[in-house]
Amino acid sequence: MPPVGGFDAVKYKRNLPFRGPGGLVILGGVTAVCAYGFYQLGRGNLEKRELVRERTWSRIHLVPLLLAEGDRDTYRREQAALEREKEIMKDVKGWEPGKSVYHSARYRGVDSIVVL
Amino acid sequence: MTTYKDGVRSSHPYKEPTSLPDSIPKVQELGTTSAPLKSAAFFLGAYCKEYNEDFMLCKQENRDPAHCLKEGRRVTRCATDLITKMRENCLQQFDEHWECLENNNQEYYLCRKPERTLNKCMFEKLGLTKTIPGAPKGKPPIHEVEKPIFKAIQK
Repeated sequence: MPPVGGFDAVKYKRNLPFRGPGGLVILGGVTAVCAYGFYQLGRGNLEKRELVRERTWSRIHLVPLLLAEGDRDTYRREQAALEREKEIMKDVKGWEPGKSVYHSARYRGVDSIVVL
Repeated sequence: MTTYKDGVRSSHPYKEPTSLPDSIPKVQELGTTSAPLKSAAFFLGAYCKEYNEDFMLCKQENRDPAHCLKEGRRVTRCATDLITKMRENCLQQFDEHWECLENNNQEYYLCRKPERTLNKCMFEKLGLTKTIPGAPKGKPPIHEVEKPIFKAIQK
């Protein structure tokens, strides 16, 4: 005999709980995150370029000042070396102190220095 | 006998006690260290533009140090003048900015806050603005961007 109230319903439906967002949603989300990241990267690259420009120009503005100071020092040392050369070579006939070894008017810095 | 000594490897510093010949007018060297110079660089470029360009054109003519001494003295005098004026007018802002640069690897982008106060003071007192040549037009220059991407991680 059947139980009172009849049998339980037959469980025939599959038990499939919700397993997260679908493939398209994930793909779309990844694409969105990547797009935002690349956008920021691009902005950062532009900004980095400007930062480099700023750094470069700060140096360019200082070049004349530093060069002028260095030139004065170089000139002072060259003149001192010339005086020394005149003093040392005064007995040698036909010696021209400070004469360049090159047949050119172009300036060349000294290749070697004498550290006393 | 004298022996050859390489100046680079020498244990003695490369000293030359002889001073400049008297025919060359004397000029006081600036003596400012790197951080204050970096802080003042753009104002220096704006304030001493003519002297700087004159000097560089002269150097282009001839690389000989003796050739451009006069122009060089002008450049140094102008820079000294500017630093003196900056110290007279914006000493506090100037000090804050270059000390920030000193503590932050001399990077401008880590010191925007003191830089902006300095720029403001310099514009109000001396009328000098910081402009970066070649920056794209129609955009705020990099030192005035409100929310930059590159900034100090610690506020």
